[in-house]
Amino acid sequence: MFLALKEIKHEKLRYGLVISMVVLISYLIFILTSLAQGLGSQNTAAIDTWNIKQVVLNKDSDINMRQSFLTTQQVDQLHQGKNDAVIGQAAVVAKHSDLPQISATFIGIKPTQFIYKDMKVIKGHKPLTDRQLVVDSSFETKGYKLGQWVKLNSLNQKYQIIGFVKNAKINISPIAYGRLSAWKTISNLNPNLAANALITRSKHYKVTDNNLKAYSVSAFINNLPGYTAQNMTFEFMIGFLMVISLIVIAIFLYIITNQKLPNYAVLRAQGVPAKTLVISTIMQSLILVVSGILIGALLTWITSLVIPAAVPMTFNVPVLSAVAAGLVLTSIIGAILPVRTIMKIDPVKVIG
Amino acid sequence: MTALTLNHVNKTFGKGIAKVEALKDVNFSADQGEMTLILGPSGSGKSTFLTIAGSLQTPTDGEVLINGDDLRHLSAKKREQLRLNHLGFVLQSYNLVPYLTVKEQFKLVDKVKKSGNLSASQLDDLLKLLGIDQLVNKYPDQLSGGQNQRVAIARALYPNPEIILADEPTAALDSAHVEEVGKLFAQLAHTQNKAVVVVTHDLRLKDYADKIFNITDGVISREK
Repeated sequence: MFLALKEIKHEKLRYGLVISMVVLISYLIFILTSLAQGLGSQNTAAIDTWNIKQVVLNKDSDINMRQSFLTTQQVDQLHQGKNDAVIGQAAVVAKHSDLPQISATFIGIKPTQFIYKDMKVIKGHKPLTDRQLVVDSSFETKGYKLGQWVKLNSLNQKYQIIGFVKNAKINISPIAYGRLSAWKTISNLNPNLAANALITRSKHYKVTDNNLKAYSVSAFINNLPGYTAQNMTFEFMIGFLMVISLIVIAIFLYIITNQKLPNYAVLRAQGVPAKTLVISTIMQSLILVVSGILIGALLTWITSLVIPAAVPMTFNVPVLSAVAAGLVLTSIIGAILPVRTIMKIDPVKVIG
Repeated sequence: MTALTLNHVNKTFGKGIAKVEALKDVNFSADQGEMTLILGPSGSGKSTFLTIAGSLQTPTDGEVLINGDDLRHLSAKKREQLRLNHLGFVLQSYNLVPYLTVKEQFKLVDKVKKSGNLSASQLDDLLKLLGIDQLVNKYPDQLSGGQNQRVAIARALYPNPEIILADEPTAALDSAHVEEVGKLFAQLAHTQNKAVVVVTHDLRLKDYADKIFNITDGVISREK
Protein backbone atom coordinates (compact mmCIF):
# COMPACT_ATOMS: atom_id res chain seq x y z
CA MET A 1 0.00 0.00 0.00
CA PHE A 2 2.90 2.34 0.86
CA LEU A 3 4.49 2.01 -2.58
CA ALA A 4 1.08 2.14 -4.31
CA LEU A 5 -0.02 5.38 -2.65
CA LYS A 6 3.36 7.07 -2.95
CA GLU A 7 3.56 6.35 -6.65
CA ILE A 8 0.04 7.64 -7.33
CA LYS A 9 0.81 10.79 -5.31
CA HIS A 10 4.04 11.41 -7.21
CA GLU A 11 2.83 10.51 -10.70
CA LYS A 12 -0.36 12.57 -10.56
CA LEU A 13 -0.73 13.12 -14.30
CA ARG A 14 -0.15 9.52 -15.33
CA TYR A 15 -2.47 8.06 -12.71
CA GLY A 16 -4.94 10.92 -13.16
CA LEU A 17 -5.29 9.82 -16.78
CA VAL A 18 -5.79 6.19 -15.74
CA ILE A 19 -8.46 7.26 -13.22
CA SER A 20 -10.11 9.45 -15.90
CA MET A 21 -10.30 6.44 -18.19
CA VAL A 22 -11.97 4.37 -15.44
CA VAL A 23 -14.33 7.29 -14.69
CA LEU A 24 -15.44 7.44 -18.33
CA ILE A 25 -15.84 3.67 -18.64
CA SER A 26 -17.77 3.36 -15.37
CA TYR A 27 -19.92 6.42 -16.17
CA LEU A 28 -20.80 4.97 -19.57
CA ILE A 29 -21.61 1.57 -18.08
CA PHE A 30 -23.71 3.14 -15.28
CA ILE A 31 -25.67 5.28 -17.74
CA LEU A 32 -26.25 2.36 -20.12
CA THR A 33 -27.32 0.15 -17.21
CA SER A 34 -29.71 2.85 -15.98
CA LEU A 35 -31.11 3.24 -19.48
CA ALA A 36 -31.54 -0.54 -19.80
CA GLN A 37 -33.24 -0.61 -16.40
CA GLY A 38 -35.42 2.37 -17.28
CA LEU A 39 -36.56 0.96 -20.59
CA GLY A 40 -36.98 -2.48 -19.03
CA SER A 41 -39.16 -1.11 -16.26
CA GLN A 42 -41.27 0.86 -18.74
CA ASN A 43 -42.01 -2.46 -20.40
CA THR A 44 -43.01 -4.20 -17.21
CA ALA A 45 -43.88 -1.50 -14.64
CA ALA A 46 -47.60 -2.32 -14.61
CA ILE A 47 -46.99 -6.07 -14.58
CA ASP A 48 -44.67 -5.56 -11.61
CA THR A 49 -47.36 -3.65 -9.70
CA TRP A 50 -49.90 -6.37 -10.43
CA ASN A 51 -47.50 -8.86 -8.82
CA ILE A 52 -48.77 -11.73 -10.95
CA LYS A 53 -47.26 -15.17 -11.46
CA GLN A 54 -49.10 -16.48 -14.52
CA VAL A 55 -51.01 -15.26 -17.55
CA VAL A 56 -53.71 -17.37 -19.22
CA LEU A 57 -53.82 -16.79 -22.97
CA ASN A 58 -55.19 -18.35 -26.07
CA LYS A 59 -52.80 -21.13 -27.17
CA ASP A 60 -52.52 -19.68 -30.66
CA SER A 61 -51.68 -16.17 -29.53
CA ASP A 62 -47.89 -16.60 -29.63
CA ILE A 63 -47.89 -15.52 -25.95
CA ASN A 64 -49.04 -12.07 -27.01
CA MET A 65 -51.93 -10.58 -25.10
CA ARG A 66 -53.12 -8.47 -28.01
CA GLN A 67 -53.40 -11.58 -30.19
CA SER A 68 -55.20 -13.59 -27.51
CA PHE A 69 -58.97 -13.53 -27.31
CA LEU A 70 -61.08 -15.34 -24.75
CA THR A 71 -64.74 -15.98 -25.48
CA THR A 72 -67.48 -15.35 -22.96
CA GLN A 73 -67.87 -19.10 -22.53
CA GLN A 74 -64.13 -19.58 -21.88
CA VAL A 75 -64.04 -16.74 -19.37
CA ASP A 76 -67.08 -18.13 -17.56
CA GLN A 77 -65.37 -21.51 -17.25
CA LEU A 78 -62.17 -20.04 -15.81
CA HIS A 79 -61.86 -19.95 -12.04
CA GLN A 80 -61.88 -16.30 -10.93
CA GLY A 81 -60.91 -16.06 -7.30
CA LYS A 82 -59.46 -13.16 -5.33
CA ASN A 83 -56.04 -13.68 -6.97
CA ASP A 84 -57.35 -13.77 -10.55
CA ALA A 85 -58.47 -11.06 -12.92
CA VAL A 86 -59.66 -11.01 -16.52
CA ILE A 87 -58.38 -8.11 -18.60
CA GLY A 88 -58.76 -6.66 -22.03
CA GLN A 89 -55.99 -4.74 -23.75
CA ALA A 90 -56.31 -2.29 -26.64
CA ALA A 91 -53.97 0.18 -28.30
CA VAL A 92 -55.47 3.67 -28.14
CA VAL A 93 -54.55 7.24 -28.93
CA ALA A 94 -55.79 9.68 -26.32
CA LYS A 95 -56.71 13.06 -27.76
CA HIS A 96 -57.67 16.46 -26.47
CA SER A 97 -57.87 19.50 -28.68
CA ASP A 98 -55.49 21.60 -26.51
CA LEU A 99 -53.00 18.89 -25.64
CA PRO A 100 -50.56 16.54 -27.40
CA GLN A 101 -51.89 13.16 -28.42
CA ILE A 102 -50.70 10.23 -26.35
CA SER A 103 -50.30 6.69 -27.64
CA ALA A 104 -51.48 4.54 -24.77
CA THR A 105 -52.67 1.08 -23.87
CA PHE A 106 -56.21 0.74 -22.62
CA ILE A 107 -56.54 -1.97 -19.98
CA GLY A 108 -60.11 -3.01 -19.27
CA ILE A 109 -60.63 -4.41 -15.77
CA LYS A 110 -63.46 -5.60 -13.56
CA PRO A 111 -64.21 -3.63 -10.37
CA THR A 112 -64.67 -6.87 -8.46
CA GLN A 113 -61.15 -8.15 -9.20
CA PHE A 114 -57.72 -7.51 -7.69
CA ILE A 115 -56.29 -5.05 -10.22
CA TYR A 116 -59.11 -2.65 -9.52
CA LYS A 117 -59.14 -3.34 -5.79
CA ASP A 118 -55.35 -2.97 -5.34
CA MET A 119 -55.00 0.04 -7.62
CA LYS A 120 -53.17 2.86 -5.78
CA VAL A 121 -54.60 6.08 -7.16
CA ILE A 122 -52.29 9.02 -6.39
CA LYS A 123 -54.86 11.60 -7.42
CA GLY A 124 -58.63 11.31 -7.90
CA HIS A 125 -60.48 8.01 -7.59
CA LYS A 126 -61.05 4.66 -9.32
CA PRO A 127 -63.37 4.44 -12.35
CA LEU A 128 -67.01 4.08 -11.37
CA THR A 129 -68.61 4.08 -14.81
CA ASP A 130 -67.84 2.89 -18.34
CA ARG A 131 -66.79 6.41 -19.35
CA GLN A 132 -64.18 6.97 -16.66
CA LEU A 133 -60.41 6.39 -16.82
CA VAL A 134 -57.53 6.19 -14.40
CA VAL A 135 -54.37 6.98 -16.33
CA ASP A 136 -50.62 6.83 -15.85
CA SER A 137 -49.04 9.90 -14.24
CA SER A 138 -47.18 10.63 -17.52
CA PHE A 139 -50.53 11.98 -18.81
CA GLU A 140 -50.37 14.61 -16.09
CA THR A 141 -46.80 15.62 -17.02
CA LYS A 142 -48.07 16.20 -20.56
CA GLY A 143 -50.75 18.56 -19.32
CA TYR A 144 -53.77 16.30 -18.85
CA LYS A 145 -55.82 17.07 -15.75
CA LEU A 146 -58.40 15.42 -13.53
CA GLY A 147 -61.91 15.82 -14.84
CA GLN A 148 -60.75 16.37 -18.40
CA TRP A 149 -62.63 14.60 -21.18
CA VAL A 150 -60.57 12.86 -23.85
CA LYS A 151 -61.33 11.02 -27.04
CA LEU A 152 -59.88 7.56 -27.62
CA ASN A 153 -59.04 6.70 -31.22
CA SER A 154 -61.79 7.77 -33.58
CA LEU A 155 -64.63 6.91 -31.30
CA ASN A 156 -67.33 9.50 -30.92
CA GLN A 157 -67.79 9.12 -27.19
CA LYS A 158 -65.47 10.81 -24.74
CA TYR A 159 -63.92 9.44 -21.57
CA GLN A 160 -63.21 11.37 -18.42
CA ILE A 161 -59.88 11.19 -16.57
CA ILE A 162 -60.84 10.74 -12.93
CA GLY A 163 -57.56 9.46 -11.46
CA PHE A 164 -53.80 9.13 -11.89
CA VAL A 165 -51.63 6.16 -10.97
CA LYS A 166 -47.85 5.78 -10.89
CA ASN A 167 -45.83 3.19 -12.81
CA ALA A 168 -48.75 2.22 -15.04
CA LYS A 169 -46.78 1.34 -18.17
CA ILE A 170 -46.67 -1.72 -20.34
CA ASN A 171 -44.39 -2.16 -23.34
CA ILE A 172 -43.21 1.46 -22.87
CA SER A 173 -46.77 2.65 -23.37
CA PRO A 174 -48.72 4.49 -20.60
CA ILE A 175 -51.85 2.71 -19.45
CA ALA A 176 -55.38 4.04 -19.31
CA TYR A 177 -57.37 1.83 -16.95
CA GLY A 178 -61.11 1.57 -17.56
CA ARG A 179 -63.95 -0.87 -17.22
CA LEU A 180 -63.76 -4.19 -19.11
CA SER A 181 -67.12 -3.28 -20.65
CA ALA A 182 -65.54 -0.11 -22.11
CA TRP A 183 -62.73 -2.24 -23.59
CA LYS A 184 -65.36 -4.08 -25.64
CA THR A 185 -66.63 -0.80 -27.04
CA ILE A 186 -63.15 0.58 -27.78
CA SER A 187 -62.00 -2.65 -29.42
CA ASN A 188 -65.20 -2.97 -31.43
CA LEU A 189 -65.07 -6.73 -31.12
CA ASN A 190 -67.41 -9.58 -31.78
CA PRO A 191 -69.86 -9.57 -28.81
CA ASN A 192 -68.89 -13.16 -28.07
CA LEU A 193 -65.37 -12.09 -27.01
CA ALA A 194 -65.04 -11.25 -23.31
CA ALA A 195 -61.33 -10.55 -22.62
CA ASN A 196 -57.76 -10.89 -23.85
CA ALA A 197 -56.38 -12.76 -20.88
CA LEU A 198 -56.72 -13.86 -17.32
CA ILE A 199 -53.88 -12.87 -15.05
CA THR A 200 -53.30 -14.59 -11.75
CA ARG A 201 -51.15 -14.38 -8.65
CA SER A 202 -51.33 -18.13 -8.34
CA LYS A 203 -48.24 -20.10 -9.34
CA HIS A 204 -50.18 -23.15 -10.44
CA TYR A 205 -53.38 -21.91 -12.07
CA LYS A 206 -55.33 -24.79 -13.52
CA VAL A 207 -56.63 -24.44 -17.07
CA THR A 208 -59.04 -27.09 -18.33
CA ASP A 209 -59.82 -25.57 -21.73
CA ASN A 210 -57.54 -27.12 -24.37
CA ASN A 211 -57.44 -23.88 -26.34
CA LEU A 212 -56.05 -21.89 -23.42
CA LYS A 213 -52.72 -22.13 -21.64
CA ALA A 214 -51.23 -20.63 -18.46
CA TYR A 215 -47.83 -19.07 -19.12
CA SER A 216 -45.34 -17.94 -16.50
CA VAL A 217 -45.09 -14.18 -16.14
CA SER A 218 -41.41 -14.30 -17.21
CA ALA A 219 -42.37 -16.10 -20.45
CA PHE A 220 -45.08 -13.50 -20.99
CA ILE A 221 -42.67 -10.58 -20.36
CA ASN A 222 -39.99 -12.06 -22.61
CA ASN A 223 -42.56 -12.18 -25.41
CA LEU A 224 -43.56 -8.55 -25.06
CA PRO A 225 -42.84 -7.03 -28.49
CA GLY A 226 -39.20 -5.88 -28.65
CA TYR A 227 -38.51 -6.55 -24.96
CA THR A 228 -36.03 -9.42 -25.30
CA ALA A 229 -34.25 -7.85 -28.28
CA GLN A 230 -33.91 -4.57 -26.42
CA ASN A 231 -32.63 -6.23 -23.23
CA MET A 232 -30.20 -8.41 -25.12
CA THR A 233 -28.87 -5.38 -26.97
CA PHE A 234 -28.15 -3.63 -23.69
CA GLU A 235 -26.74 -6.78 -22.10
CA PHE A 236 -24.35 -7.24 -25.03
CA MET A 237 -23.34 -3.58 -24.97
CA ILE A 238 -22.64 -3.67 -21.23
CA GLY A 239 -20.93 -7.06 -21.53
CA PHE A 240 -18.69 -5.86 -24.37
CA LEU A 241 -17.91 -2.68 -22.46
CA MET A 242 -16.88 -4.80 -19.46
CA VAL A 243 -14.61 -6.93 -21.64
CA ILE A 244 -13.16 -3.87 -23.38
CA SER A 245 -12.57 -2.17 -20.02
CA LEU A 246 -10.84 -5.35 -18.79
CA ILE A 247 -8.53 -5.28 -21.82
CA VAL A 248 -7.86 -1.53 -21.57
CA ILE A 249 -7.20 -1.65 -17.82
CA ALA A 250 -5.02 -4.76 -18.21
CA ILE A 251 -2.98 -3.10 -20.98
CA PHE A 252 -2.49 0.05 -18.92
CA LEU A 253 -1.43 -1.93 -15.86
CA TYR A 254 0.86 -4.11 -17.95
CA ILE A 255 2.60 -1.07 -19.47
CA ILE A 256 2.88 0.68 -16.10
CA THR A 257 4.21 -2.49 -14.45
CA ASN A 258 6.74 -3.04 -17.23
CA GLN A 259 8.04 0.50 -16.75
CA LYS A 260 8.62 -0.29 -13.08
CA LEU A 261 10.47 -3.56 -13.64
CA PRO A 262 14.02 -2.14 -13.27
CA ASN A 263 13.06 -0.70 -9.87
CA TYR A 264 11.32 -3.89 -8.86
CA ALA A 265 14.39 -5.87 -9.92
CA VAL A 266 16.59 -3.83 -7.59
CA LEU A 267 14.10 -4.23 -4.78
CA ARG A 268 14.04 -7.98 -5.42
CA ALA A 269 17.87 -8.01 -5.40
CA GLN A 270 17.76 -6.32 -2.03
CA GLY A 271 15.48 -9.02 -0.69
CA VAL A 272 12.08 -7.34 -0.99
CA PRO A 273 9.69 -10.29 -1.40
CA ALA A 274 7.82 -10.61 -4.70
CA LYS A 275 4.63 -10.85 -2.61
CA THR A 276 5.12 -7.26 -1.39
CA LEU A 277 5.45 -6.01 -4.97
CA VAL A 278 2.47 -8.06 -6.18
CA ILE A 279 0.25 -6.79 -3.35
CA SER A 280 1.40 -3.25 -4.09
CA THR A 281 0.47 -3.64 -7.78
CA ILE A 282 -2.97 -5.09 -7.00
CA MET A 283 -3.65 -2.47 -4.32
CA GLN A 284 -2.66 0.26 -6.74
CA SER A 285 -5.09 -1.08 -9.33
CA LEU A 286 -7.84 -1.24 -6.73
CA ILE A 287 -7.20 2.32 -5.59
CA LEU A 288 -7.29 3.56 -9.19
CA VAL A 289 -10.41 1.63 -10.16
CA VAL A 290 -12.37 2.28 -6.96
CA SER A 291 -11.56 6.02 -7.19
CA GLY A 292 -12.63 6.02 -10.85
CA ILE A 293 -15.85 4.17 -10.08
CA LEU A 294 -16.71 6.51 -7.19
CA ILE A 295 -16.25 9.54 -9.43
CA GLY A 296 -18.25 7.75 -12.17
CA ALA A 297 -21.02 7.08 -9.61
CA LEU A 298 -20.97 10.73 -8.56
CA LEU A 299 -21.34 11.84 -12.19
CA THR A 300 -24.19 9.33 -12.63
CA TRP A 301 -25.92 10.73 -9.54
CA ILE A 302 -25.52 14.31 -10.86
CA THR A 303 -26.91 13.12 -14.21
CA SER A 304 -29.91 11.59 -12.44
CA LEU A 305 -30.67 15.02 -10.93
CA VAL A 306 -30.57 16.94 -14.20
CA ILE A 307 -31.81 14.44 -16.76
CA PRO A 308 -35.31 15.20 -18.15
CA ALA A 309 -38.12 13.01 -16.83
CA ALA A 310 -38.91 11.94 -20.40
CA VAL A 311 -35.63 10.00 -20.63
CA PRO A 312 -36.41 6.46 -19.52
CA MET A 313 -33.66 5.95 -16.97
CA THR A 314 -33.90 4.15 -13.66
CA PHE A 315 -31.04 4.60 -11.19
CA ASN A 316 -31.32 1.37 -9.28
CA VAL A 317 -28.67 1.46 -6.54
CA PRO A 318 -28.41 -2.33 -5.95
CA VAL A 319 -28.08 -2.98 -9.71
CA LEU A 320 -25.51 -0.20 -10.17
CA SER A 321 -23.61 -1.49 -7.10
CA ALA A 322 -23.51 -4.94 -8.69
CA VAL A 323 -22.18 -3.40 -11.92
CA ALA A 324 -19.56 -1.47 -9.90
CA ALA A 325 -18.56 -4.71 -8.15
CA GLY A 326 -18.24 -6.32 -11.59
CA LEU A 327 -15.93 -3.50 -12.68
CA VAL A 328 -13.79 -3.91 -9.54
CA LEU A 329 -13.59 -7.66 -10.20
CA THR A 330 -12.65 -6.92 -13.82
CA SER A 331 -9.86 -4.62 -12.65
CA ILE A 332 -8.54 -7.23 -10.21
CA ILE A 333 -8.34 -9.67 -13.12
CA GLY A 334 -6.57 -6.94 -15.11
CA ALA A 335 -4.16 -6.36 -12.23
CA ILE A 336 -3.41 -10.05 -11.84
CA LEU A 337 -2.21 -10.33 -15.45
CA PRO A 338 1.13 -8.52 -14.85
CA VAL A 339 1.69 -10.48 -11.61
CA ARG A 340 3.47 -13.23 -13.51
CA THR A 341 5.89 -10.64 -14.91
CA ILE A 342 6.65 -9.42 -11.39
CA MET A 343 7.12 -12.96 -10.08
CA LYS A 344 9.54 -13.69 -12.92
CA ILE A 345 11.68 -10.57 -12.47
CA ASP A 346 15.35 -11.50 -12.68
CA PRO A 347 17.44 -9.03 -10.65
CA VAL A 348 20.54 -10.33 -12.44
CA LYS A 349 19.39 -8.58 -15.62
CA VAL A 350 19.58 -5.20 -13.88
CA ILE A 351 22.96 -5.87 -12.33
CA GLY A 352 24.52 -7.90 -15.09
CA MET B 1 36.24 -13.04 10.23
CA THR B 2 35.47 -14.31 6.73
CA ALA B 3 32.09 -13.05 5.56
CA LEU B 4 32.06 -14.29 1.98
CA THR B 5 33.78 -17.33 0.49
CA LEU B 6 33.71 -18.78 -3.01
CA ASN B 7 35.36 -22.18 -3.43
CA HIS B 8 36.05 -23.61 -6.88
CA VAL B 9 33.15 -21.72 -8.39
CA ASN B 10 32.45 -22.16 -12.08
CA LYS B 11 29.69 -20.54 -14.10
CA THR B 12 28.88 -21.57 -17.63
CA PHE B 13 26.25 -20.09 -19.93
CA GLY B 14 24.94 -21.79 -23.07
CA LYS B 15 25.89 -25.11 -24.62
CA GLY B 16 28.03 -26.43 -27.47
CA ILE B 17 29.41 -23.75 -29.73
CA ALA B 18 27.57 -21.03 -27.75
CA LYS B 19 29.09 -22.15 -24.45
CA VAL B 20 30.65 -19.33 -22.44
CA GLU B 21 32.64 -19.92 -19.27
CA ALA B 22 31.96 -16.72 -17.31
CA LEU B 23 33.79 -17.86 -14.17
CA LYS B 24 36.55 -20.47 -14.04
CA ASP B 25 37.50 -22.14 -10.76
CA VAL B 26 37.10 -18.99 -8.72
CA ASN B 27 38.46 -19.08 -5.19
CA PHE B 28 37.84 -15.95 -3.21
CA SER B 29 37.20 -14.74 0.30
CA ALA B 30 36.29 -11.36 1.77
CA ASP B 31 36.76 -10.54 5.41
CA GLN B 32 34.86 -8.18 7.64
CA GLY B 33 36.81 -4.99 8.28
CA GLU B 34 38.33 -5.04 4.80
CA MET B 35 37.60 -3.38 1.51
CA THR B 36 38.23 -5.77 -1.35
CA LEU B 37 38.51 -4.53 -4.90
CA ILE B 38 37.94 -6.74 -7.93
CA LEU B 39 39.31 -5.09 -11.03
CA GLY B 40 38.57 -6.16 -14.54
CA PRO B 41 37.51 -4.89 -17.93
CA SER B 42 34.02 -5.19 -19.36
CA GLY B 43 33.05 -8.81 -20.11
CA SER B 44 35.63 -10.23 -17.72
CA GLY B 45 32.99 -11.82 -15.48
CA LYS B 46 32.80 -9.12 -12.78
CA SER B 47 29.02 -8.87 -12.71
CA THR B 48 28.58 -12.65 -12.85
CA PHE B 49 30.93 -12.87 -9.88
CA LEU B 50 28.91 -10.25 -8.00
CA THR B 51 25.52 -11.85 -8.69
CA ILE B 52 26.77 -15.26 -7.59
CA ALA B 53 28.39 -13.79 -4.48
CA GLY B 54 25.13 -11.96 -3.81
CA SER B 55 23.01 -15.14 -4.09
CA LEU B 56 21.13 -13.77 -7.10
CA GLN B 57 22.19 -16.69 -9.26
CA THR B 58 23.68 -20.06 -8.58
CA PRO B 59 27.05 -21.28 -9.82
CA THR B 60 27.27 -24.19 -12.26
CA ASP B 61 29.44 -25.84 -9.61
CA GLY B 62 31.41 -24.91 -6.55
CA GLU B 63 30.28 -23.53 -3.21
CA VAL B 64 29.38 -20.05 -1.99
CA LEU B 65 29.35 -19.38 1.74
CA ILE B 66 27.87 -16.24 3.28
CA ASN B 67 28.62 -15.94 6.98
CA GLY B 68 29.27 -19.67 6.86
CA ASP B 69 25.91 -20.59 5.26
CA ASP B 70 26.30 -22.66 2.11
CA LEU B 71 23.90 -21.14 -0.45
CA ARG B 72 23.35 -24.52 -2.09
CA HIS B 73 21.38 -25.58 0.97
CA LEU B 74 19.15 -22.53 1.11
CA SER B 75 15.71 -22.23 -0.50
CA ALA B 76 14.88 -19.26 -2.72
CA LYS B 77 12.96 -17.69 0.17
CA LYS B 78 15.88 -18.17 2.58
CA ARG B 79 18.24 -16.64 0.04
CA GLU B 80 15.83 -13.70 -0.25
CA GLN B 81 15.89 -13.27 3.55
CA LEU B 82 19.67 -13.57 3.54
CA ARG B 83 19.93 -10.75 1.00
CA LEU B 84 17.52 -8.63 3.00
CA ASN B 85 19.31 -9.16 6.32
CA HIS B 86 22.98 -9.58 5.49
CA LEU B 87 23.75 -8.09 2.07
CA GLY B 88 23.72 -4.52 0.83
CA PHE B 89 23.84 -3.87 -2.92
CA VAL B 90 25.17 -0.66 -4.41
CA LEU B 91 24.57 -0.62 -8.14
CA GLN B 92 25.99 1.36 -11.00
CA SER B 93 22.65 2.86 -12.00
CA TYR B 94 21.56 3.72 -8.41
CA ASN B 95 18.04 2.43 -9.04
CA LEU B 96 16.40 4.39 -6.32
CA VAL B 97 12.62 4.18 -6.38
CA PRO B 98 11.82 7.32 -8.43
CA TYR B 99 8.59 8.20 -6.66
CA LEU B 100 9.99 8.06 -3.13
CA THR B 101 11.87 10.89 -1.45
CA VAL B 102 15.26 10.12 0.09
CA LYS B 103 13.57 9.74 3.49
CA GLU B 104 10.94 7.40 2.06
CA GLN B 105 13.59 5.15 0.47
CA PHE B 106 14.55 4.20 4.05
CA LYS B 107 10.91 3.95 5.12
CA LEU B 108 10.42 1.34 2.40
CA VAL B 109 13.21 -0.74 3.92
CA ASP B 110 11.43 -0.45 7.29
CA LYS B 111 8.26 -1.83 5.65
CA VAL B 112 9.96 -5.04 4.54
CA LYS B 113 12.60 -5.43 7.26
CA LYS B 114 10.96 -4.63 10.54
CA SER B 115 14.00 -4.83 12.82
CA GLY B 116 17.79 -4.56 12.81
CA ASN B 117 17.88 -1.44 10.66
CA LEU B 118 19.90 1.62 11.67
CA SER B 119 18.33 3.76 14.38
CA ALA B 120 17.14 7.28 13.52
CA SER B 121 20.29 8.82 15.01
CA GLN B 122 22.55 6.31 13.22
CA LEU B 123 20.79 7.14 9.95
CA ASP B 124 21.27 10.87 10.63
CA ASP B 125 24.97 10.27 11.22
CA LEU B 126 25.24 8.24 8.02
CA LEU B 127 23.45 10.91 5.98
CA LYS B 128 25.74 13.58 7.44
CA LEU B 129 28.77 11.45 6.68
CA LEU B 130 27.59 11.12 3.09
CA GLY B 131 26.73 14.82 2.91
CA ILE B 132 23.11 14.21 1.98
CA ASP B 133 21.41 15.08 5.27
CA GLN B 134 19.90 18.21 3.70
CA LEU B 135 18.38 16.24 0.83
CA VAL B 136 15.96 13.95 2.71
CA ASN B 137 12.84 15.46 1.17
CA LYS B 138 14.14 15.42 -2.40
CA TYR B 139 13.13 12.93 -5.10
CA PRO B 140 15.88 11.12 -7.06
CA ASP B 141 15.22 13.22 -10.16
CA GLN B 142 16.00 16.35 -8.12
CA LEU B 143 19.48 15.06 -7.23
CA SER B 144 22.75 14.98 -9.14
CA GLY B 145 24.38 11.68 -10.17
CA GLY B 146 26.81 11.86 -7.23
CA GLN B 147 24.03 12.63 -4.76
CA ASN B 148 21.94 9.75 -6.10
CA GLN B 149 24.86 7.37 -5.74
CA ARG B 150 25.40 8.46 -2.15
CA VAL B 151 21.69 7.96 -1.40
CA ALA B 152 21.92 4.48 -2.98
CA ILE B 153 24.89 3.73 -0.72
CA ALA B 154 22.96 4.96 2.32
CA ARG B 155 19.99 2.81 1.35
CA ALA B 156 22.24 -0.24 0.99
CA LEU B 157 23.72 0.44 4.42
CA TYR B 158 20.46 1.22 6.20
CA PRO B 159 19.50 -2.43 6.86
CA ASN B 160 22.92 -2.69 8.55
CA PRO B 161 24.28 -5.56 6.43
CA GLU B 162 27.60 -7.23 7.23
CA ILE B 163 28.52 -7.47 3.56
CA ILE B 164 28.35 -4.69 0.98
CA LEU B 165 28.54 -5.64 -2.68
CA ALA B 166 29.09 -2.74 -5.04
CA ASP B 167 28.92 -2.95 -8.82
CA GLU B 168 30.79 -0.14 -10.62
CA PRO B 169 29.72 2.36 -7.95
CA THR B 170 31.86 5.15 -9.42
CA ALA B 171 30.91 4.73 -13.07
CA ALA B 172 28.84 7.91 -13.14
CA LEU B 173 30.97 9.99 -10.80
CA ASP B 174 33.61 12.65 -11.33
CA SER B 175 37.04 12.39 -9.71
CA ALA B 176 36.04 14.30 -6.60
CA HIS B 177 33.13 11.99 -5.97
CA VAL B 178 35.20 8.89 -6.78
CA GLU B 179 37.54 9.88 -3.98
CA GLU B 180 34.56 10.51 -1.69
CA VAL B 181 33.05 7.07 -2.41
CA GLY B 182 36.42 5.31 -2.11
CA LYS B 183 37.01 6.88 1.27
CA LEU B 184 33.52 6.04 2.41
CA PHE B 185 33.79 2.35 1.51
CA ALA B 186 37.17 2.11 3.25
CA GLN B 187 35.75 3.89 6.27
CA LEU B 188 32.75 1.55 6.41
CA ALA B 189 35.06 -1.45 6.31
CA HIS B 190 37.44 -0.13 8.91
CA THR B 191 35.17 1.65 11.37
CA GLN B 192 31.99 -0.40 11.05
CA ASN B 193 33.60 -3.78 10.42
CA LYS B 194 31.81 -4.37 7.12
CA ALA B 195 33.07 -6.67 4.41
CA VAL B 196 33.07 -4.38 1.39
CA VAL B 197 33.48 -5.97 -2.04
CA VAL B 198 33.65 -3.59 -4.99
CA VAL B 199 33.78 -4.82 -8.59
CA THR B 200 34.97 -2.13 -10.95
CA HIS B 201 37.25 -1.18 -13.79
CA ASP B 202 38.03 2.15 -12.08
CA LEU B 203 41.70 2.05 -11.10
CA ARG B 204 41.26 5.20 -9.01
CA LEU B 205 39.71 3.08 -6.27
CA LYS B 206 42.89 1.05 -5.78
CA ASP B 207 44.19 3.58 -3.26
CA TYR B 208 41.41 2.74 -0.81
CA ALA B 209 41.39 -1.07 -1.05
CA ASP B 210 42.89 -3.47 1.47
CA LYS B 211 42.91 -6.38 -0.98
CA ILE B 212 42.88 -6.24 -4.76
CA PHE B 213 41.92 -9.02 -7.15
CA ASN B 214 42.09 -8.97 -10.91
CA ILE B 215 39.56 -10.78 -13.03
CA THR B 216 40.18 -11.62 -16.68
CA ASP B 217 38.11 -13.99 -18.80
CA GLY B 218 36.50 -15.44 -15.70
CA VAL B 219 39.75 -16.17 -13.92
CA ILE B 220 40.36 -14.35 -10.67
CA SER B 221 43.78 -13.74 -9.16
CA ARG B 222 45.09 -11.76 -6.22
CA GLU B 223 47.25 -8.79 -7.08
CA LYS B 224 50.65 -8.95 -5.46
